Amino acid sequence: MATLNLKQVEKTYAHGYKAIHGINLEIADGEFAVLVGPSGCGKSTLLRMIAGLETISTGDISIEDRVVNTIAPADRDIAMVFQNYALYPHMSNYANMAYGLKNRGYSKVEIDRRVREAGTILQLTELLDRKPRQLSGGQRQRVAMGRAIVREPKVFLFDEPLSNLDAKLRVDMRLEIKNLQQRLGTTSVYVTHDQVEAMTLADRLIVMNGGVAEQIGSPIDIYNAPATQFVAGFIGSPSMNFLSGRVSNDRSHVVLTDGTRLALDHNVAENRDVIVGIRPEHLSITTPTSSSIAAKVRITESLGAETLVYLTFGSKNEAITLRMQGTHKYAAGDELTLYSNPAQIHLFDQASGRRI
Amino acid sequence: MKRVQFGHSPVPYLFVAPQIIIIAIFFLWPAAQAVHQSFLLEDAFGMSSQFVWFRNFNDVLSSPSWLKSAGFTVVFSSLVAVLSIAISLFLAVRADEVIRGAKVYKTLLMWGYAVAPPVAGLLGIMLFNPLMGDLYILFNKMGLDFNHIQNGNDATFVVVLIAVWKQVSVNFIFFLSGLQGIPKSVTEAATLDCKSAGRRFWTITFPLLAPTTFFLMVINLTYAFFETFGIIDVSTKGAPGGSTATLVYKVYVDGFLGADMGGSSAQSVLLMIMVSVLTVFQFRFIERKIHY
Ligand SMILES: Nc1ncnc2c1ncn2[C@@H]1O[C@H](COP(=O)(O)OP(=O)(O)O)[C@@H](O)[C@H]1O
Ligand SMILES: [Mg+2]
Repeated sequence: MATLNLKQVEKTYAHGYKAIHGINLEIADGEFAVLVGPSGCGKSTLLRMIAGLETISTGDISIEDRVVNTIAPADRDIAMVFQNYALYPHMSNYANMAYGLKNRGYSKVEIDRRVREAGTILQLTELLDRKPRQLSGGQRQRVAMGRAIVREPKVFLFDEPLSNLDAKLRVDMRLEIKNLQQRLGTTSVYVTHDQVEAMTLADRLIVMNGGVAEQIGSPIDIYNAPATQFVAGFIGSPSMNFLSGRVSNDRSHVVLTDGTRLALDHNVAENRDVIVGIRPEHLSITTPTSSSIAAKVRITESLGAETLVYLTFGSKNEAITLRMQGTHKYAAGDELTLYSNPAQIHLFDQASGRRI
Repeated sequence: MKRVQFGHSPVPYLFVAPQIIIIAIFFLWPAAQAVHQSFLLEDAFGMSSQFVWFRNFNDVLSSPSWLKSAGFTVVFSSLVAVLSIAISLFLAVRADEVIRGAKVYKTLLMWGYAVAPPVAGLLGIMLFNPLMGDLYILFNKMGLDFNHIQNGNDATFVVVLIAVWKQVSVNFIFFLSGLQGIPKSVTEAATLDCKSAGRRFWTITFPLLAPTTFFLMVINLTYAFFETFGIIDVSTKGAPGGSTATLVYKVYVDGFLGADMGGSSAQSVLLMIMVSVLTVFQFRFIERKIHY
């Protein structure tokens, strides 16, 4: 049980590359925090700094009010689960889980109790005597999680633990991790590039981009009010549609590149250049009005429960995606008229990408 | 397992023919000759010979000089194998800490492999030259009364040193690639599980290097048995008094210098048997033990 604090944390790698540009973060006791962002944005770097596998260039990381900057990884009271499992291949699964406890001087009885208990929770009891290579990917990752939970650490760290698993297993394990974390109530930091994983697991989401935390908040808050165009495009699937436009003189409309007008109820300066963001699920098909978009169908994807329609719009062939419930069939070249409720239209500054 | 069938075309035989001919001329034929010779006793001038059954073997096995050489070979081979493995493992671990990721270092370290073997023996002789050898002079300045020409232990020290020196670079490369084959995340997971670096080495790194270590044991013992012939011939020539003559070197001394073809052949047949047994034993052991 512990809080985790990052104060103005920065990382510059040996050859001068700055991977983390000043991150501030407070993770509450028992909270499940998810670091999400595209590949290379510095998620692993930040997690590894918390673990002690990378040095901290400037700033402070504290676990339960103790600054851990110079404390050895083994003494930070954290446990980590790696993407490629990182099990010790020459040891049995039992020995893999027991190793960290043994080195910390726990008694044989206590080690056995904890390993067997973790084995039961993770349904590994029958597999404890085997070697990691005799297990499937999913089972190996369970052993790796077992190795983390037997330690009963203050903080769990996960670095893309599900990325090596197939799609179905990934969903199952995601639920298991969530369940386990809620049951144990251990403060956790979880790294992923998969926004669905991030949305479903997080109590709090940290969306990272280029070594900066672009937005920190609950998944729903971030979905409803993304702070930047980057966050808006990254969170939500399929991605939000972006169209360039300019706010009209009377501020009641935004005018898109081909002259199409969309009604607004935002408080925004007239004649300002903006990016209009509309999520695919917030568009619907209507009859033409003074505030609708006429677009041409390119491709239709039927997923059964829903249909994704990819369209192009205007003289610049800007792409628009539409997400509809149920099954619909459109031919390439069909003209559709789309509408969005003004309350569900997001505006971003064209220059800075910040939310207006 | 699927097998590729070539039918009965002679082409494959043609392809392996050169290798077979080389093995036949340079290995099978001399081996057969040795076996044949080992049962013969030649007169002093090599004019006539007579079939004597196992008398040559009996003579060899009961000769004090052969037993002495066998004893030296065991000590020498073990020292060379253990020392060169230990030293190269130590160097490889230290190097691995530095070069994780840095390719340039790795290339530089590879040079040792390319340069050392041909030069090592020669360098060794020069270092221990009684007139100008740096180590010879240094040891005597330190008051060690070092004299490998007359003292058997000192001579052993010299050949072991040169043999180890020559072999360390080979072992180093194998250990270094073995170390680099250990996934970084496994080492990192161990860092979280165990604070003591020494303990991590013995519980994680070393067991994971076991296949490499056993492979090198085989290679190094074979090396110490056979390939050190050149080093011994160049440095001590088995002196003083045969105290640095390995079994292989003794075969050469007795056969070519002493012209005792029967005895020398019996010795090589014994060597062949020992090496076959050793090889079978080692590979059996490796197959059984080194799997994870
Ligand atoms: N050991 C390192 N030395 C130098 N640069 C590194 C090192 N590790 C990562 N980087 C760089 O830092 C950036 C962030 O990497 P990382 O944290 O692994 O990203 P992510 O986990 O978000 O994909 C990348 O541009 C990467 O190339
Ligand atoms: Mg990563």
